[in-house]
Amino acid sequence: MSAATTSRTGTDGHPAGRGTVFSETMLGTLRLDDEHRVRRVRLDLTVSADRVMRLWGTTEARAEGRVRISGWSDDAGARGELEISPLARRRIRYRVEFTADGRRLTLDGWKSVSARRPVASMTVLPYTLHEDGTPIGTGTLRFPLGTQLLPFLASFRFPRSRRPGAFVRPRWRGEPGRTEVWYTTVTDPDTGSGLWLHHELTAPADGSQPYAHGWAAVFPEDGPVRHARFGPARWSRAESGFRAGEVTVRPGRLSGSADEGALHWDIAERPGGAPLFTFPRWCWRHPLLPAAHMLPAARSRYDGTFTHDGRTLTLSGAPGASARIYGHGNARRWAWLHADLGGGDVLEIVAAVSTRPGLRGLPPAVFLRLRRHGRDWPRRPERAAAGWAGAGRFRADTTLPTWTVTGRTALRRIRVEVTQPPDRTLALDYTDPDGGHATCRNSERADAHVLLERWWLGGWRTEAEWTLDGTAHAEVGTR
Amino acid sequence: MSHTGLVAALIADDGTTDWPRRVPDRLETVLSAMPAAARAGFLAAAGAVDAYALARTGRTLARLTALERQSVLAGLAARPALLPLLDLLKVPVLLSAGTERMLDGGPPAGTLTRADPPLDLTPASAWPSRSTADAVVIGSGAGGAVAARTLARAGLDVVVLEEGSHHSTESFGRRAPLDRFTELYRDGGATFTIGSPPLLLPVGRAVGGTTLVNSGTCYRTPDHVLSRWSKDFGWTPADDFGRHLNEAERTLRVATQPLDVLGANGRVALAGARALGWRAAPLRRNAPGCRGSCQCVVGCPTGAKQSVQLSVLPDACAAGARIVTEARVERILVDPDRPGGPRAAGVRVRRERDGGFDILAPLVVVAAGALQTPQLLRRSGLGGHPRLGHNLSVHPATSVAGRFAEPVTAWQGVLQSVGVEEHHDAGILIEATATPPGMGSFVLPGAGGELRRELEDAGRLATLGAMIADRPGGRVLGRHGTAVRYHLDRRDAGRLLRAVLAMGELLFAAGAEEVLTGIPRTPRVRSLTELRDVVAGTGARRLHLSAYHPTGTAAAGASPQRFPADPQGRLRGVHGVLIADASVLPSCPQVNPQLTVMAAAMAITENQTKAIMSR
Repeated sequence: MSAATTSRTGTDGHPAGRGTVFSETMLGTLRLDDEHRVRRVRLDLTVSADRVMRLWGTTEARAEGRVRISGWSDDAGARGELEISPLARRRIRYRVEFTADGRRLTLDGWKSVSARRPVASMTVLPYTLHEDGTPIGTGTLRFPLGTQLLPFLASFRFPRSRRPGAFVRPRWRGEPGRTEVWYTTVTDPDTGSGLWLHHELTAPADGSQPYAHGWAAVFPEDGPVRHARFGPARWSRAESGFRAGEVTVRPGRLSGSADEGALHWDIAERPGGAPLFTFPRWCWRHPLLPAAHMLPAARSRYDGTFTHDGRTLTLSGAPGASARIYGHGNARRWAWLHADLGGGDVLEIVAAVSTRPGLRGLPPAVFLRLRRHGRDWPRRPERAAAGWAGAGRFRADTTLPTWTVTGRTALRRIRVEVTQPPDRTLALDYTDPDGGHATCRNSERADAHVLLERWWLGGWRTEAEWTLDGTAHAEVGTR
Repeated sequence: MSHTGLVAALIADDGTTDWPRRVPDRLETVLSAMPAAARAGFLAAAGAVDAYALARTGRTLARLTALERQSVLAGLAARPALLPLLDLLKVPVLLSAGTERMLDGGPPAGTLTRADPPLDLTPASAWPSRSTADAVVIGSGAGGAVAARTLARAGLDVVVLEEGSHHSTESFGRRAPLDRFTELYRDGGATFTIGSPPLLLPVGRAVGGTTLVNSGTCYRTPDHVLSRWSKDFGWTPADDFGRHLNEAERTLRVATQPLDVLGANGRVALAGARALGWRAAPLRRNAPGCRGSCQCVVGCPTGAKQSVQLSVLPDACAAGARIVTEARVERILVDPDRPGGPRAAGVRVRRERDGGFDILAPLVVVAAGALQTPQLLRRSGLGGHPRLGHNLSVHPATSVAGRFAEPVTAWQGVLQSVGVEEHHDAGILIEATATPPGMGSFVLPGAGGELRRELEDAGRLATLGAMIADRPGGRVLGRHGTAVRYHLDRRDAGRLLRAVLAMGELLFAAGAEEVLTGIPRTPRVRSLTELRDVVAGTGARRLHLSAYHPTGTAAAGASPQRFPADPQGRLRGVHGVLIADASVLPSCPQVNPQLTVMAAAMAITENQTKAIMSR
């Protein structure tokens, strides 16, 4: 398939589309077949879909919420699904499972949308109640327009997708002079060893055949760094991720071998947390900058085995992260840090100097993302990289063995010190799509010290401080 | 509006007997069951006759004496152009008069042959607003019942939707034939086609469909018809049709009608055929233990006739199918945005109480009959195929009666008893058919005193009917109501006239004194030569024509341009819709089609269940 065709047909290049979330409350009645009385029913649902709801199409959505039936049930753990198709199928179907008196029940009904009675047909939900597939009662729920319309409309949100697997799909669409990277770094807490799996697609700028290659490296606590390259292999587009010979990256799975089997690995990945865009999100969606970096999940857990030279490292819930890079090539100089700060907090830094004329003379642009208590700081990545037209931007000093990043916003400031001891650092040669070379010095057993301060009552006070002893993942690249 | 004057004039009520006085009320009942167009036609004709009386005498019919009424009618009858107008009035009046005259001798008693097997019935008013099923079958006639049974036996959760009501055999025994007539037929039995000439086209509407009111005659599909369907139209199920016909015959317990209850009408036909050396025999019927009640067309009062609600639907219900009665399907629900193209999602059924109910099902089997199926598909947005509703064959039919010296009492015995197949190769099938008085397609000649005498002397009449294999000249129009246009082909008009001649020949050979031709201008002939002259001098459009067995309006075949359904009965252009009724037949079956429709439905649904199981 040609590049032009794929770019037209695929939206998978932008897998991180938005979803839809809204809340809905309906009130009504239920008459059980074996009863003569009518019970009052209240249904409170939070509905979420993986895509922006389309009025002209059909949207499948999940529903969670609470079902209350007078004198019988109050289940806050109700779950179900919705088929929202008001115009295409003229139907909005609800299937909600809940428990009443120990009995597992399913409410199945749909609004039949009619142009002749738009309001009534969009607000009245006749339903049948089933137990084990057998109907046991019928009823009608109504959306109370007078009291619930405004809350319903105000509840609509269109959050970005949180499916890490979607980011594993290749971005490359056949253009020459591109490089795309899937890399994973892991720390084994049991042995203190670090792992680095680097998978790279290079499409040379001269238009020659793209190739897939990469390397695996292990940073044992008690020995020298061991690494081996794999590939280059002919690039065959794998819809779900990366493939070079027997080395594959799929959503939730990393496997392969290198150095004729001396290193081989089979690791399952459990993503945790929302995606973390180190560069501004728009850079990833619209590749205008020379390259962009992001993490499908800010932190992940790894299970599996990594064998090198007869030694097997068994991972069980090992912390780490996978990241993605897509762009024209490596920076002129760069530094990178991934620090799992514990308790769900993560610090990700990329400081880079572009190779492009005019930009290469500038100091490093620092992209710093601190995810703490589920919130990202600075609020926008551009703030750290560019400041206010350069003023107040974050600064980096990328000399080894200890490199630093400092920066401040209005009420916070941060200082990061990363130390990459030479004996725990691996030096590798990178090749750009244009044939240029760079040297990277990488350590998955780096040390880091992070100091976060907040201005309060006339002075800087420590808000948080982290010291990572051999568990930080860092890299510095030079030419 | 009372029709006392009109009735008194037409049947010459001289006040000597009681029953004519009850006819106007009975007529009102009949008219109220008719569709608006037919009722308006009758009222206009009645008004015209009254206006004629007013112009001629200064008074309306109701204010005239018996003699004056007779004089007015004689004046009308003297104008041949007005005879069709009189016939339009006579049909419902004769229907009412025949019933009242019969009831005058006490209502006919029906004795149950056997109790009705149980059915799982729910009226639409009690059905939940939202439900789901594996398959919905629309219609419970010959096709729908078999489809429901096949699918239910394959383990699917099946719901059958029937527009009509359920009538038990016991309820038939309790009520007069005419009371049942207006309930069991669509439009009160007054469905007619628009065109040249107009045809009366009665179709049933009840649990059991038209099988409830047909004559029980069960012909296997002729081999030459099957061969044509397979070779010319690419309708592959015809290749293995024998197996399905055998199964249908077994289910309906089809057997040759024994002679003991055949009745004099049938014996006359046999005697005539024997004298002429023609091929004729008692018909094969689905009525073991038939007692010759002669009420097949208003529901068998003894339960002998194995209509599908007594033979097929009980098996379907035993396998789990449920029947919803009084449920008219408003539309088939279609999901237009399914991967692979539009797909049926279920049905919406009209209901007065709350606007209707929906049943979601991935498979919808349409078996609403050849007149309703195209309309339903159009209402559902599935009427895109240019040939949908076209290709309508209707078996145009006419009848003649023969007057014999001895009483025949045609309404005592089997309603449709003997088949004369001498001319079947020429597309003419003669069947000895008698009905309860007034319900047949034969219209007694004359008006006033003459008509009254015919009524009183009806016991000496034997009636024969002939249906012809027609070219598909009809088309179902519109989305609602029953709008059918039919143009009688020139070849078929010739066949109808030949059929009249053949029936006259048969009656004369059996010893008839005279033959009532059904042709208004020359209603009686006393010899075959005279009949030949009459037939030679008339056209088929002057005959009293009716039609039965509409087929072919959503025909299946290999050509996507020509046939709305593929050879497996799947409606083209949408997934999940099967056609399993008479409308799926590629052309006229040339015989009474119950077995053919059942076998076709069986073939289509069996193929579907195999496809489901192989997934």
